[in-house]
Amino acid sequence: MSRAALGEAEPEGPRELRRPSLSSEEPEERIAARRLRIAARLEAKRREALGEDPDAKKAEAEELSRSHQQIEESRQRLAKLLNDGTQLVTNIQVAADARETQRRAEEDELKRQRLEKLENESKTNQDKFEEITSKWGSAKEKTIPQDLWDVLNLQQQQCALLIEEKNKLISELQQELKSKDDQYVKDLKKQSDDINLLVERMEEQIRNLMKTYRRELTQIEKAFELERRELLSSNKKKWEQAMQAHNAQELENLITRMQKVEEYEKQLNQLRVQDAEEYTTIKIQLENDVQILEQQLQQMKAIYQLNQEKLEYNFQVLKKRDEENTIIKSQQKRKLNRLHDVLNALRMKLAKQIKQFQEENQTLTADYKRIVEQYKDLQRTMRHFAVIDAQKFLELWLMNEEEAKGLVWKALEADRVIHTQQLGLPWVEPDSWFLDNVGPIVHRKAIRSASKLAQEVMALTESSQQEEEEEGVEGGRKEAAAEAGEEVKPPRHISVKSVKHILELLCDDSGFLIETKLLGLLQPLERHERSLMRLDAIFAALKIDNEDDVYTLVDFFLKFKAQQVVSSQSKEWAEEQGPEELAVDSADNDEGSAALKEEGTAHQSSATSPSSLLFHPDDILKALKAFVRDFQKPRDKRPQVKKVMEERDNSKDSEYWEALAYVIPEPKLKVWDALEVALEKYYSVLSQRAKLLTDLDGLQQQNTELHMLLHQYVTSKVTEELLIPPTHVIELTPP
Amino acid sequence: MQEPVSGDTNMASPPLKTSVVNPAANPRRMRRIIAEDPEWSLAIVPHLSELCLQHIVSNFEKNPVVDRLLPEHQRKVLDRISTGLPLTVTANLISDEGYWKRCCTERWAVCDVSRYGGSWKRMFFERHLESILKYFIPNTTDPNQVLEVIPLCKEYVRKLEIDQFLPPVKLDQNKEEDDMSDSGSDVGVDEFCMHHYDLGVLTAALSHLEELHLTYGVKDCGMNFEWSLFDFTYQDCCSLANAFKKCHALKVFKLCRSKVDDEKTRVLIRNLLDHPCLVELDLSHNLIRDRGARAIGKLINRSKLEILNLCNNRIRAPGAQAIAHALGKNSTLTSLNLRINCIEDEGGQAIGHALLTNATLTSIHLGGNELSEPTATLFSQVLAQNTALTSINLACNHIGLDGGKQLLEGMSDNKTVTEFDLRLAEVGQESEYLINQALKANQEIARLKTLYQPNSLEEKSPDLD
Repeated sequence: MSRAALGEAEPEGPRELRRPSLSSEEPEERIAARRLRIAARLEAKRREALGEDPDAKKAEAEELSRSHQQIEESRQRLAKLLNDGTQLVTNIQVAADARETQRRAEEDELKRQRLEKLENESKTNQDKFEEITSKWGSAKEKTIPQDLWDVLNLQQQQCALLIEEKNKLISELQQELKSKDDQYVKDLKKQSDDINLLVERMEEQIRNLMKTYRRELTQIEKAFELERRELLSSNKKKWEQAMQAHNAQELENLITRMQKVEEYEKQLNQLRVQDAEEYTTIKIQLENDVQILEQQLQQMKAIYQLNQEKLEYNFQVLKKRDEENTIIKSQQKRKLNRLHDVLNALRMKLAKQIKQFQEENQTLTADYKRIVEQYKDLQRTMRHFAVIDAQKFLELWLMNEEEAKGLVWKALEADRVIHTQQLGLPWVEPDSWFLDNVGPIVHRKAIRSASKLAQEVMALTESSQQEEEEEGVEGGRKEAAAEAGEEVKPPRHISVKSVKHILELLCDDSGFLIETKLLGLLQPLERHERSLMRLDAIFAALKIDNEDDVYTLVDFFLKFKAQQVVSSQSKEWAEEQGPEELAVDSADNDEGSAALKEEGTAHQSSATSPSSLLFHPDDILKALKAFVRDFQKPRDKRPQVKKVMEERDNSKDSEYWEALAYVIPEPKLKVWDALEVALEKYYSVLSQRAKLLTDLDGLQQQNTELHMLLHQYVTSKVTEELLIPPTHVIELTPP
Repeated sequence: MQEPVSGDTNMASPPLKTSVVNPAANPRRMRRIIAEDPEWSLAIVPHLSELCLQHIVSNFEKNPVVDRLLPEHQRKVLDRISTGLPLTVTANLISDEGYWKRCCTERWAVCDVSRYGGSWKRMFFERHLESILKYFIPNTTDPNQVLEVIPLCKEYVRKLEIDQFLPPVKLDQNKEEDDMSDSGSDVGVDEFCMHHYDLGVLTAALSHLEELHLTYGVKDCGMNFEWSLFDFTYQDCCSLANAFKKCHALKVFKLCRSKVDDEKTRVLIRNLLDHPCLVELDLSHNLIRDRGARAIGKLINRSKLEILNLCNNRIRAPGAQAIAHALGKNSTLTSLNLRINCIEDEGGQAIGHALLTNATLTSIHLGGNELSEPTATLFSQVLAQNTALTSINLACNHIGLDGGKQLLEGMSDNKTVTEFDLRLAEVGQESEYLINQALKANQEIARLKTLYQPNSLEEKSPDLD
């Protein structure tokens, strides 16, 4: 409001100081006015924020409050009026409501009474009616007409009474109905009155409201007008004051300005004089400079000429050179062409060569293939022959052996006969390995299965441990251990213990290689057996079939470990460890057989291997991985033939045959010689005796013949005729 | 001078004819310049465009052309065409409010456009349809009369306010019978049937219908009064209920002074259950008793009802208890009117208990309900606890002096109630006065609260000009 007042007031002010007005015709001016207003508002806000101008604010609040007060008052008055008026109007409705509720209550009550009354009435009437009906019976019994007539009369009267009563009731009700109708009419009238009153009051209310609203409006307007006027006058006063102050200020400014102008004029003059002097001095100086510069220019010109001549000479020289260069260039070009030709020729040659070599290569490869084929054939035939040779060898061997064996057995039989028959000594059969041998001697390091080896190793070490624990308690055990040791022959640099150690580690840590089902099945088994089964499974998984593979595995592990150790450990440590290792190894070997000892001595020094460097379980996986990677390759390549073609060891053959030859030992031969001599002597005696016997036989024969002859003579008849028979003469002595 | 001139321009045809008749006769012709007429031009012969527009206006019925004209020409045509043009031409063609305003003001003396959302066209069509329905007599009026209007007005009708339904005409026989026996209501007449117009077809067609105010009765019957004129039959009720099913946009439904009893209420409510947008239900001045009230109680919690008016019915304590039970669980209803029923203290207490838990109801009217002190004690408790209520009416009850004191006590703790009517409630002047004082304080608080936000907006708005 105050803003509008300002806007209106301003145009009345002096023309030249007129501010742009909002109500002006020109749009530019309006825009300017708005801008000014926004600026003013911002300024006010800033001031407000800084708290610079609390007075102005207070004044504003005071000024505002007057109109607001008026508005507030008017509002309250009007609200009260409105409230009262509506109350007045609604009072009618409320009164009607109240009447209605009252009426309803009364109606209910009346209805209840009426119902009660009707019920009573009907009850009494029913009684009466029953009385009448009961009398009909008695009336029927009446036979005398007079009596009957009386009774009928009585009945009629009673009926009439009953009907009358009913009619009375009906008339009463009708009366009530009529009164209700009247009531209704009255109510209608009342309602129309009410409505009229309502309309009247509403109109009154509207009139009142309009009047008061108008009054309040005029009052508010007046208040605003007053306020505006006051504001206007105060603003005008302020404006005039400001104008006066402004004028005074202006005058003052004018005076000071004039003074300043004079002062500046003086200063200007002074400056001019000074500048003129300076100008002349500078001019002289500059002229001098010009002269000097001209001299320098002359000098420069001379130098320039000189330079020009020099340059011309140089130019000539360069031209010459250029010509030379062009000549050289053409030469080079020609040379280049020639070289290109050469290059092309060489290329051709090269291509030719390549082709030639390729052909050559092809022929060579063909040759190579053929040769390979031939070689293969050769090999096949060789293998065939080898097999045949072996067969032949075997047959020969067997034949010879049979022969030799026959001879040996003959000799032995003879020996036995000699011993038993001649010497009368008991004969002991020589017990030699070669006697039982049939066929060629083969060094069968029977390739034991890996699992078997494992079993043995485990058993061995277990028993050895036990042995260590209970030393000397059982002698028999030792033998068993020795036997076991005999069976387990690890290659030189691998100790049984380390094998066992690694196998145990494997068994413990490579559970993942075993099928879970198997693990479940293994659960109830003994520890030892279980570990064996597990090892079996692991070997199956790793495709380790035989003893050798196991040893390669162990070897690999040890090497792996050694690499690790070497890389990590210092050398000293290894040296320190050495001797101990040796001792341990030898201790191990003590348990082994004689054969092991024979071999063992050869490489005990090399057994400083890190065999018993304890293998950490964590490394096992890494090692296993590396092993599987490395091991897989060589095994795949391993030729199957090699096994067949294994070189036969014929070192023992001669020994074998020699042993066969010397089946009868030397002392025995000596005995035989002595026996022969003695027997020969015996023979000669015997032969002498035989001769003598034959002689004796001859003589005896002669004797008998003679005897016979004599007898004949004696007994002959001639003699009988003789006076003295010879018989009497010769005394017959029987031989 | 000016008046005849303006009349002339409104006629808008004259130049040719008048000039032929007598140019000198018209003083206007004698002037070279007529400053007060903005359409004046020196040319004696009007523009061709002017003539064309003239032709369009005169032949508008046969060839309605509006859309293709220039805006200024459209304006002229719409200003000049007759309001008596058939609706079939104008209904969907002309959307200009000025034309419809002319139509309305010519047809009806009193036109309050604010009641029709500021749309003259809507007003015209709604009132047109209402008048057709009001004077529709079943079996005699041609139903096509309604059906023809439907396609014309279905886009514009939002509200139907029909305060009279004419029953079928029974012709003279009935009248004679009526004359003969006024009190004896013939059964035969009832059987002849007083079914009113079935709204089903109409509501199905009017897809924008939001408000429906119905009164089954006859206005201005005068001395021809007859109870059967005001019969809202069961079949009417059923057809009305079926009509609801088809109007999904319905927000306000009022059925007053139509003798709706319990049975009919239940039929109506059954079809209103789970209605998608019904907000206001007015069944005042009917004959609803407790069973109907129970059905309404069920509806309260199965719809989005916000305003419920049951004034001047026959609801007693059980019905009020049913409504109170629903109110206790409700969170949509804001206004409840039970004026002039007879719920008595039992019902009043039930409602009081419900108000202790309810937090949405802002206005409740329990005037003329035979309430007394026990209800007042409970309401004092409600006043202390409930912060949603702003208007309470307990007028015309028998609350008594003690009850008034208790209410005053409850009022002293309350800061939200701005209207509390206790007239004719026998509470005593002192407590009534003190309660009014408290109300004034509350009104002031409410006023300031509403003033605060608009004020802050108004302060900013002048900067924008």
